[in-house]
Amino acid sequence: MNNIIIESMAFTLPLFIIAIGGIFCEGSGVINLALEGLLGMGAFFGGLIVAAFTSTFIDSQSTLVYISLFSAMVGGALFAMLYALIVLKFQANQVISGVVINMLSVSLTAFLTNQLNISLFNQSSNKFMLFVFPRVTVPFISKIPVLGAFFTDVYVFEFIIVVVASFMAYLLYKTPFGMRLRACGDNPHSVAAAGKNVTRIRFIAILISGAMSGLGGICFAYSISTNFSPSIYVGYGYLAIAAYIFGNWKISNTLLACLIFGFARSIGYFMIQKLSLPSSYSDLVLTFPYVLTLILLLFFSKSNRAPRALGEIYDKGKR
Amino acid sequence: MNNNFVELKNISKVFPNIVANDDVSIEVKQGEIYAILGENGAGKSTLMSILFGLYEPTSGSIYIKGEKVKITSPLDANKLHIGMVHQHFKLVDNQSVAENIILGIEPIKKKFGIFPKVDIENANKDVALLSKKYHLDVNPTDLIQDVAVSTRQRVEILKMLYRNAELLIFDEPTAVLTPQEIESLLDIIKSLRDSGKTIIIITHKLDEIKKIADRCAILRKGKLIDVLDVAKSTTKEMASLMVGHDISLQIKKDDKPFGETVLDVEKINTFNKDGVQTLKDVSFSVKKGQILAVAGVSGNGQVEIADAIAGLLKTSSGSILLNGKNINNLSIRERLEEGISYIPEDRHNVGLLLDFTLSENLCLKQYYKEPYCSKHGVLNFKKFDEISNILIDNYDIRCGEEKAKTIVRSMSGGNQQKAIIAREIHSNSDLIIFVQPTRGLDVGAIEIIHKRIAELRNAGKAILLISLELDEIMSLADTILVIYGGEVQTIKDAKDLTKERVGEYMMGVHKSC
Repeated sequence: MNNIIIESMAFTLPLFIIAIGGIFCEGSGVINLALEGLLGMGAFFGGLIVAAFTSTFIDSQSTLVYISLFSAMVGGALFAMLYALIVLKFQANQVISGVVINMLSVSLTAFLTNQLNISLFNQSSNKFMLFVFPRVTVPFISKIPVLGAFFTDVYVFEFIIVVVASFMAYLLYKTPFGMRLRACGDNPHSVAAAGKNVTRIRFIAILISGAMSGLGGICFAYSISTNFSPSIYVGYGYLAIAAYIFGNWKISNTLLACLIFGFARSIGYFMIQKLSLPSSYSDLVLTFPYVLTLILLLFFSKSNRAPRALGEIYDKGKR
Repeated sequence: MNNNFVELKNISKVFPNIVANDDVSIEVKQGEIYAILGENGAGKSTLMSILFGLYEPTSGSIYIKGEKVKITSPLDANKLHIGMVHQHFKLVDNQSVAENIILGIEPIKKKFGIFPKVDIENANKDVALLSKKYHLDVNPTDLIQDVAVSTRQRVEILKMLYRNAELLIFDEPTAVLTPQEIESLLDIIKSLRDSGKTIIIITHKLDEIKKIADRCAILRKGKLIDVLDVAKSTTKEMASLMVGHDISLQIKKDDKPFGETVLDVEKINTFNKDGVQTLKDVSFSVKKGQILAVAGVSGNGQVEIADAIAGLLKTSSGSILLNGKNINNLSIRERLEEGISYIPEDRHNVGLLLDFTLSENLCLKQYYKEPYCSKHGVLNFKKFDEISNILIDNYDIRCGEEKAKTIVRSMSGGNQQKAIIAREIHSNSDLIIFVQPTRGLDVGAIEIIHKRIAELRNAGKAILLISLELDEIMSLADTILVIYGGEVQTIKDAKDLTKERVGEYMMGVHKSC
């Protein structure tokens, strides 16, 4: 039981922070299918920084892991700028642009990983090795039965995510910026009439979604495989989209959705171990969270309400 | 020192292909209600958008309180204390009334001394105070999506007042309101003036100008025609200046007796999706050559009558006979083929496919039949255009240079309505249902449509007219049916009823059947 909780939290929180990025972007009225590509590109940047620093001047591992988190956010945000350029400046179709960003990210990171490994580090590999991320167990609290598992063997990044997520929730729901951002998603003309720049707000929202996806992406890379490789692209970005749609574009509900997905996944793994299934069946069990997604969306899609101006290209002249 | 709040001097605005404003100069005095009157497309909205900073004038200059200013964005306008209520409200549906009002200039308080936070408690208080001060009744914590149109408009007004606007611009403020709401809005506007605000109101409704405005500028095709002192002018004068020729709202009807019964509605009942009864035992009949007008306050079941006849709404009991045949169980298309034409209230969502061409829209009722469609299911667009060009000429539909290929969205409201009417009349049905046929149209277009309706009547069609405009009903109807709360209050010969009497029935004061 404890293992299920520990495992699922390590999966839930990165998924949650990616979904928060999506909520910012879609909350401002821009469809974001590019989360998958953004998280991969963020993880790539984080991995690259780790690889570059370890082979040049060996820094202390512990600072380097935090630098990698930060650079993943920067990397994600930089790549998100490309998306922003396409959909805000050139007003391209947001669905297609998002998918293109995803495909571009997959092939671009694969190519760059190979080339950089050869040219910089003189090795032929399609991954960047990462360190094992430090885990901590909170004294005393972790002794509480069941609940204590949430504080046992916790990756430090999980705490970071909780702090960042709280800050993002505050930003979105309590500050003037958040209020305007949500207004942009409902009726951008109201924001323009109030004398604010819709495009700038949406630009920032897209950057935030890139930074959050990058953070989530590198955390996945640490917790799942301790390296960056193209295997990071297994659809967690899409799962994050499902999470916030299921969460009705609200941060609190989305956390709930992410928890459900996280637990579904851990329970799936747990079942494979318990039943000692042949590996061919393990793949089937791993479809669990996705099947669950489909079922949940069937039930909840009706009552959910997307931001009213979602996907609408903002045109000043139109009234 | 004069007391002009705004002076627009020699303003011109040229869009590609069109001159929207041509050398317009107006002066608005501090503390007056200044109306700008013109047909659709006369350049009223453009002129005000220039004053509000949404457009930049091609030439000309703006003076506020005697000082030359440059207004390049709504932000500049706000700083100069100019506010505007747009025809289409700019509100965020899923935020509260107060949040909408403070958007962009939110009051801030620091949480723990460092984290800035929108001070919504204070905003709620301020909005409540403001709404009390100006008698604009709103609840600051209501979500916009839950409040009525008239409340939304009050929110827009409060938005301006919260920004300390001194000059308030209203763009067609009454277009979306019911008669009662219009009355109360006009009172609000008057009391705003009395508290010292300067007001510009864009409209094409003459009686409203007569009621509240001090002066009235008339625009026609982008040019300033005249500025009138409202108290010294008649609506007739204003109307003819606005349209450019004399207007006669007199309807010519012949005195032929009615023919045989076309539509016979007997005791129909309908329910809405919440299970509330919307029509209770409604019965009436319409004969050839008769205009039966349904009068009532909006939302009392008029639209349900039309929808039930056209088949958009299922009746739970009762029967509808068309030329003696029960059409209760027929599909919508079958009913139309039986001889019903329907001009719906919502021409944008129900009447037209806005992003389709005019010819496609004109053929919407026949496209599936030969010769528009071959036996093998291939559409014949040449035929579409052929018939469309005839209709465009016959009904004087003014469209762009592409003629039948014009995208309907780009046409003016009046011409869109003419297109619908052309399509519906062309199918030569016995019964024609008009729902709010002149809503949002200017006097010129209304004149044309009223004449058309009278012609149809004289040609022996049965006409069911549903309208919220009492004047329209009084001038067109042969017989008037008044509905209140889903029940028929009275059905009488129009000659036996006065406007006031109909108004009383509309309030449910009397009942006589």
